[in-house]
This record gives sequence, structure tokens and C-alpha cells, in this order.
Amino acid sequence: MTRKPSTQLSKNLLNINFKIMKKFTHKIILISVLLISFSCDSNKNKINEINIYSQRHYAVDELQYKNFTEETGIKVNVTKANADELIQRLKLEGESSPADLFITVDVGKLWQAGDMNLLQKINDFRVTKNIDKNFLDPNDFWIPITYRSRVIVYSNERVKENELSTYEDLANEKWKNRLLIRSSSNSYNQALMSSLIANLGSEVAEDWSRKIVDNFARDPKGNDRDQVKAIAAGQGDIAVVNSYYIGLLLSSEKDEELEAGKAVSVFFPNQAEGERGAHINVSGIALTKNSPNKENALKLIKYLTSPKAQQTYVDNTYEYSVIPSIEPNEIVKSWGNFKKDNLDLNMLGSKRNEAVRIFDKSGWR
Amino acid sequence: MEINLIKLKKNLKSITSVTLLVALVLLPVITLIIGSINLDSSNFNYLWDHLLIDYSFDTIYLLFLTLLFSLLLGILPAWFISMNKFRGRKIYDLLLYLPLAIPTYIMSFSYAEILSYFGPFQNLVRDYLPNFSNIVNRDYLQIEVLALLLSFSLFPYLYAACRISFSMIGNNYINLSKNLGLSEIKTFFKVGIPLSRPSIFSAIFLISMEVLNEYGAVSYFGVNTYTSGIFRAWGSLADINTASLLSVFLFFVVFVFFLTEKFFTNKYKYDIKINSSSDHKFHNTNLKSLLIHTVCLVIIFFSLIIPIIFMINNAFIVSDNIDLDNLILLTKNTILVSLISTILIVITVFGIQFLSRVSSLKFLRFTSNLISLSYALPGAVIGISLISLFSPINDFFGFLIIGSFPVLIYAYFIRYMAVAVSPISSSFEKISTKLDDTGKNLGLNPFKYFSKIFIPLNKKAIIIAFCISFVDIMKDLPLTLILRPFNFDTLATKTYELAVEEMITESAIYSLAIISFGFILLSVLNLTQSKS
Repeated sequence: MTRKPSTQLSKNLLNINFKIMKKFTHKIILISVLLISFSCDSNKNKINEINIYSQRHYAVDELQYKNFTEETGIKVNVTKANADELIQRLKLEGESSPADLFITVDVGKLWQAGDMNLLQKINDFRVTKNIDKNFLDPNDFWIPITYRSRVIVYSNERVKENELSTYEDLANEKWKNRLLIRSSSNSYNQALMSSLIANLGSEVAEDWSRKIVDNFARDPKGNDRDQVKAIAAGQGDIAVVNSYYIGLLLSSEKDEELEAGKAVSVFFPNQAEGERGAHINVSGIALTKNSPNKENALKLIKYLTSPKAQQTYVDNTYEYSVIPSIEPNEIVKSWGNFKKDNLDLNMLGSKRNEAVRIFDKSGWR
Repeated sequence: MEINLIKLKKNLKSITSVTLLVALVLLPVITLIIGSINLDSSNFNYLWDHLLIDYSFDTIYLLFLTLLFSLLLGILPAWFISMNKFRGRKIYDLLLYLPLAIPTYIMSFSYAEILSYFGPFQNLVRDYLPNFSNIVNRDYLQIEVLALLLSFSLFPYLYAACRISFSMIGNNYINLSKNLGLSEIKTFFKVGIPLSRPSIFSAIFLISMEVLNEYGAVSYFGVNTYTSGIFRAWGSLADINTASLLSVFLFFVVFVFFLTEKFFTNKYKYDIKINSSSDHKFHNTNLKSLLIHTVCLVIIFFSLIIPIIFMINNAFIVSDNIDLDNLILLTKNTILVSLISTILIVITVFGIQFLSRVSSLKFLRFTSNLISLSYALPGAVIGISLISLFSPINDFFGFLIIGSFPVLIYAYFIRYMAVAVSPISSSFEKISTKLDDTGKNLGLNPFKYFSKIFIPLNKKAIIIAFCISFVDIMKDLPLTLILRPFNFDTLATKTYELAVEEMITESAIYSLAIISFGFILLSVLNLTQSKS
């Protein structure tokens, strides 16, 4: 839509030469200004469109948007970038922002956008009726679309399942030089730490963090898959990773990834009687404060949380559906059901600053 | 004094246009400085107290190692190829630029996988040298390995600068050195290196900026640089103002280095006779040929062949799922924006350098070099400062200038200008100022002087500047991510999106497209160059 004018602009700029420039400076300036304004999107309220700022960039998202467009005729425009950048862009653009929806893979960022007054509430029962109530935002600023757990994986060779119990137990001395986990700048780890602060208090969380650092098999590095590979390579025995990465490894077309996936098993922590359950985080969607196409945006939210779209998510990713009746992918199902931590998910955002400070104080790089 | 004033008046137009352009380039920096004034100091003090000393140590160590490796990888082959005639010289020359087309994070992710426990390297050792399998089973995600990998994709900056410089060192110097009985090694140290000091410095400046702004590979390796601090403030502590202030600090540190560099390189001014292109001046013995081939082949093998084979293999593994139409679309997008920006950049940089040259004003020469400084800021920070710069225009005119092509191209323009400055200014420095007087004596007007003398003499530098800025813009990530129009992807953004989701296999085809296009571009330009 915006491509053609800018090609003209480039041709125009190319044709400029010194002589013409002298004679026609004024005209050139005028033409350039016109061209620039044409190549900008001058009409942000086009009827059948929605504009999304998204942190998610999975292939399944494109599929969902395509299906939605086929069903409703509404065109979906997406800009994908890092959540912090998108939040900042939303803030700076203010009232003239073209964005209708904001999608992230970490609920902490949704909380932050809400906290910065960039979102508007969604009080539509039709949207939320299918969703497990435990996932919903008490403040109505965001809607969950999928969830995942941050689980413990352990070496099939060197660890027995009954040695594992809770996140808290990872601080036990028996794991000294055996624990693998990535850097504290990773938002999934920050969310986990926030949940510990919310559940156990900051003192306990800080003490836990120090002991975890003592148990590190190596300095934090690499991504979640690398922690699993490091177990397979014998560099450590247990790791903390997001559940879907194990699914990705086990379904990989590469032998080396398959082997790494097979070398470990998944363990959901804090499952015993009276325990709070395993830590979860959601991918979620929110309506921006100045959404120019609000009606269409609500339609998309409703679509993404519909049983049909939720089925598409579990068919194409290793995430869990937010509708309780929809079963996950076969590989994920084989790990069994688990009890989820029912903490208000907004805590994963509001405790974030404190979590980062605890990481730094305890030397978790 | 009076003469100076006349000079100033005469050059008023040049001064205004250069200053305006430089201001245009530094606008985001100025916005940033203003933006960081209203700061909540708690996060800043916190970072300062807890992390920055630690981070600075990693930064300096990483910088030192990367520069060291890049110097080794860049200067030596540049000398061999400029000064010797041997079979395969042209193809080596082409291939040694190419690693620049591999984004640093792709280079690092690829090698991390190649070296991992189940990766091809350890598999080979287990199969053929089982006794060594325990020795090679180690954690390769180390800062030293990272430095080596960064230098694999950054050394071409040095190679390019040295190639221009070495091949423009005139016959006279080389012959004089030979007549004095200096060996090639001595000529290298006594003539080649000292005469190329400004070029080497400008390439070192670029590489340092790349290392300082690198975030993907650095965080993957668990190394914390100063930029990690900026992103910790922004991402983890949700404090953009502190992030801006840290960026401004970084900018000033770089500025001080920049001044020091200018101070030192200004001391070395040489008149180098042109018309005496000095390619292949030294005689080759068999042993020396062997050395030359080994050096070039080893560098090409590790920085180019291995990662490319790895990517081709990955592309084959997922070949059933490749969306060819999308690949073509993304390639078109990438080429379109890169081409427009590169042309603008090369014309502007050349123009500015030329104006400051003919005016022979020190002030202008200094100002014209300031444009390199926008490279000192992390791309994401420039992106945000451009958004804050343009959001009032958004509000005022009601059309969306943020997320439009002109702004994206403006962003590329200001950020990647530095890349073109290095080769072009190295080339200008090698052209004798006596030539300026000759031009004046011949009665050539500046325009003719420009087209008849400066363009032909700097053709090689223009071509190299064009290529490396083009390749750099093709790889751009942070600016494209945040400033691109809706539904607009480039090869680099697609590569990154997949790689960051730990789908390095799926990303291979897109990085291969970047590399292939870089290859085609360089080959075509090489051809035209050798014909002329």
C-alpha cells in the first residue's frame, strides 16, 4: 500500500543532479514534501483494518491472522519488534498511534503497558467466557491467548525423578555445580523470580537466589535449548526452561536436537498436596488506549480466544490453550496434567523491578 | 586574519550545507540528550553502583580481543593481495569482503551449534578421534570465543580500509624502500603500516562501534557489555530515561576517542603520488606463495566457508517448508530500502568530503568527520529517539510519518553514513593536496574538478563504500524492527525473528539470501572494476 510512492521517491532522488537542483530548488522541495506525505499513511481510520504491535513472531500467528481475514474480511497489519520498544513507541506516539492491539509473550510487559496508561479495559463477556478464570486479568487490561510453564528438566542418566520437588528445593546443596539456567536479563527468569517474591516474600527470594547462584554448573549463558543441550553434554544435571522448548526439541528435524530432547525428562515443580503449583506465564493481547479501529480489534481478540483459533495454537505450537477443554499437542500431553500456580499474573510485572535488583544483588548475571 | 575571513566568505555555501547535513545526522543524539535530562536517578544510581564497573571490564576485554583478532585477520591478507601477484588473487580479494554479509549474531549462533556437544565438530571427533572426545567436550560459550567470532564477521572493515590504503601507496615509496634494501616484511612495518595509520584507525573505530552496539551475540554468550547495561535499564528496569542517559555517556566516551584519533592521525599527513598504482610489487618465492595461500585460505575457510556450509545444510533440512514467494518478496524489500539509502549515503559522504577538501578549512574537515559519530549509539536507541523526534509531526499533520519509508530511510542514512566515511576518507587522504593546486592552475571549476579528477581517482573507494554500506544496511536489525511500516519484513528481520525464537535452522535460508546478494553485488562490482 505504501510501497509504490516510495519507489517514485527513490527515482526522483536519483534523478536529481546539480544543475536542476539550482534552477528548481523550490519545486523540488515542494515535490519531495508531497511525495513524503503520500508515502506516509495519511488515513489511519481505514474501515476494514486492524493494526497490531506484536512481540510474538511465530508462524502460527500469521496463520491465525490469515484465517481471521478470510472469515471477516478485516485486513490485519502487523509490526513485530521487541516488547520494550513497542511500549515506548506506543507511549511516544500517544493519541496519533495507529496501533489497535498490543501482543506480548510475557504478561509482565502487558502489566507494564497498563501501568503506563497505554491500554483500555476490555469488559466484554463474550470475549472472556471461554477462558479459564485463573488466567484473567482482574483489572481487565489484557486477555491471555496461550500459556506455558517454566519447568525443571533433568538428565535421564544422572537424576531420579524423586530427587526433585519444588523451585525452592533447587537451592539445596545437593544441586551444587549441577544447575543450568540462563541469564537474569531473560524475561522468563524475571517472571519466575517475581512469582517467588509474590509467593514467598523478598527476603526468602533473595536467599533463594544466592543459593541458586552457588549451585550454578556454569555462568548463565545461551538460550533455553542450550541449557538442555548442556545437560546432554554432561555440563550439568538439571535446568529450568520453558515447557514448549522441549516440544520443539523433540519434534526437531535435526538429529542433534532430537538427541538432546531425548536425554532429558520434564518435571513440574511444586505439585504436592498444599503446594502452590508450577509457575506459568501467558502470551496475551491488549487493546491500546487510542485504538482507531476498536470494533475490529475486539473481533480479533474474540477470534483468537475462540475454540477454533485455540485449537490452531495447540496444533501448531507446544503452548497450552487458555480454554480448559482444549487439549495440548501430543508431545506436551505426554508430560501429564499439572497444577498451576494461581497467583495474580499481574504480580509478574509489578514485582519485576524488585526481581531484577535481587538478581543483581545475588550475582546472578 | 583577513585571508581567513575571505576564505570563510568564499566557502559560505559549503560551510552551511555541510553543517546542516551534520546537524541532520546528529539530530537523534541531540534529542536523546534533551530527553535524558528529566531523569529519575534511582535506577541510574543503582546501575552505576552495582553493574557498570563489572560491565565495563567485560566491554574493554571483549573490545581488546576483537580488535586484536580483526587486526590479524584483516591487515595481513590485505597486504599480500595489494603487494603480490599470484594465482587466485582476485577470487581471494572478493571472498575476503564477504564475511561482512554474515550478521554477527548468526555467525555466533551458527558456531555455537557447530561446536556444541551434538554438533558436527564434536560428532566428527567422537567418530574419528574418540580419544580426544573428552578434551573437545567443553563449554564454548566463552568471551574469548565470542571475540573471535565477532572478528570473523567484522575484520572485512579492516581488510577494506587497508586494501584501499595499501594499493594507493605509490610506487615511489615502495621503490625507495626496495632501493634502501628493505625486505617486504620491513617495508610492511616501516612503510605500509605507518602510511595506512589513518585508514586502520577509522576501521578500528567502526569495529569498536559494532562491538559496543552488539547485543544479540553478546547476551547469548552471557557476556555483559556496556550496551547490556543500557538494555537492562530499558528492558528489565523499564526505565528508558536511564537507558538514554547511559547512551549519551557512551556517546561522549566515543567522542573523546574520536577526538584523540583525529589528533593523532592529523599528525601523519602524507602526499602520496597517484598514477602509480602499486599492486603486486614484490617477487614471490615458493615458500612465500605457500604462506600467502595458507593465510588467505584459513581465514576464508573459518569466516566464510564453514558458516555457509552449515547454513546450506540447515536450509536443506527444512527445504520442504521454504516459502519461496515470501523469500522473493523479502529480498525485494531488502534490496529496495538498502539501495535507496546506500545511494543517498555515498553521494552525501562523497559530497561532504569533497567540499571540505576544496575549501581546505580545518573546521569543515573536522565537522565532516562528525557524521561518523551517530554510529556510536545502539540502533534501538536511535530508533526510539527518532520516534520521539517525529511524534510531534505525527500529531501536527495527522499523517503517520513514524513507520513510513522516508523515516526508515532517514534512519539508515544517518546510522550507516559512518560505514561509507571510512573508505572514502581513507582514499581522499591518499590524494595529494598538490593536485588541488594543479586543478586550480588548470582553471577547472569545482564541478569539473569533482567529476574529472575526484570521481575517477576515488572510484575504488566509492565502490567499496557502496558495497559495505549496502551490505550493512541489508543486515540492519534494530532500526528496521522499530521503524518499519506495517507488514514490512526484510531478510534480516526474518532471520532474527526465527533465530531469537531458537529456530536457527529455519532462519538459514534468509541469512543465505543476504550472503548471496552480498556475493553477487561484490562480484559484479569487482568485474566492472577490473574492466575499467
